[in-house]
Amino acid sequence: MERNPMRRQLASMRKSLFDQGYLDEQFMELEQLLDDANPNFVEEVVTLYYRDSARLILNLDRALERRPLDFSKLDGLMHQFKGSSSSIGAKKVKAESTLFREYCKSGNAEGCMRTFQQLKKEYATLRKKLETYFQLARQIGPMESANRPK
Amino acid sequence: MELMKSSDNIIQDRTQQQHKQEPEMQAQEGQQEQGHHFHVLAVDDSVIDRKLLEKLLKVSSYQVTCVDSGDKALEYLGLLNNLDSDSTASSSSPSSSSSSSSSSSNSSSCSQSSQREGLKVNLIMTDFCMPGMSGYDLLKRLKGSSWKDVPVVVMSSENVPSRISIRCLEGGAEEFMLKPLQLSDLEKIEAYLLKSLHLSCTNIDKDDDDNNADHNSDNNNDKVVNNDSNIDKGNNSTSMNNNFSKRKALSSEDTESRRPKIKGLAVAI
Repeated sequence: MERNPMRRQLASMRKSLFDQGYLDEQFMELEQLLDDANPNFVEEVVTLYYRDSARLILNLDRALERRPLDFSKLDGLMHQFKGSSSSIGAKKVKAESTLFREYCKSGNAEGCMRTFQQLKKEYATLRKKLETYFQLARQIGPMESANRPK
Repeated sequence: MELMKSSDNIIQDRTQQQHKQEPEMQAQEGQQEQGHHFHVLAVDDSVIDRKLLEKLLKVSSYQVTCVDSGDKALEYLGLLNNLDSDSTASSSSPSSSSSSSSSSSNSSSCSQSSQREGLKVNLIMTDFCMPGMSGYDLLKRLKGSSWKDVPVVVMSSENVPSRISIRCLEGGAEEFMLKPLQLSDLEKIEAYLLKSLHLSCTNIDKDDDDNNADHNSDNNNDKVVNNDSNIDKGNNSTSMNNNFSKRKALSSEDTESRRPKIKGLAVAI
């Protein structure tokens, strides 16, 4: 069957996302919630995450342009970003957001800005990888993409 | 049945809507007695967390309603018209059936009938950190209302200082849970929901007894049990602390104990 190499590729992609620390076990929790009624549940949540993140990144960019920086507001925004990243298992993004919040608490403007740039990079990388992953999953077919090697 | 409208009784309007659903609700009630299809109200400002929680609850066979703020939660429960400064209370049109505030203009019902008729909520799960009304504020409002016997679980996305989580527990929350929630956490929730079977969360206006003969029968029984629930509250505070410490221990331990157990999930291998 043609699908076998694709399935293997998907499994390998998935494994490397975990091995390289882009995703943590929370992503597996989402996968557990897949069922016949919602075979695309994980992708739906991740799509919501992109939308939500886009909004937060925009707001953070704007807030970081203000002088002086409003650390409380920045922290509040990043709290949201951290929360949603945590909920989908976006491990590296979550780590950067934690670091950002620490810089907010200590009022370190440079630290905030540097970390935010890094966070955006991590987010972009993750998004690209996940988009590729789900694209392949869709090609294989919804039922089979629900079958994850555990 | 549908034409039984009294002139200015807004609650009747809503009850008509409920009546249309009555066969369904009675079926659900039967299921509820068997421990199925509890109705959970989930409050979270994060769209992702709402989606996740909704899915977790649905997969576990619960009915879910999600709202994105404490205010919306209060509105849903029909509690917003308790506010003195509520500007929406000015609406007095009897034909307005969508405004929950208009029931405040209904003088024939007792002042406690601020809740939606026939609405069953077995558990409220709320995020702690929300803009505007916090989860704690919502908790206090709920515990001071006619919905005080509904178990409330507070969730937070990070390890909050224990003074905050203890405050929530002392404020009447059943438990303080760490987000993101997992399937294994739902089992704890089931315990609270089963408890809620004995503490009625359905509030039916006494005026509607005629219309709701069957529907009310076990609700009336539940109301009697309600009086005992206040006595139980004293015991609850100790169990609350136990739940809290269990949860804390759980979160600091190895995650193996949080391995999800899948209920009713079709996993084709």
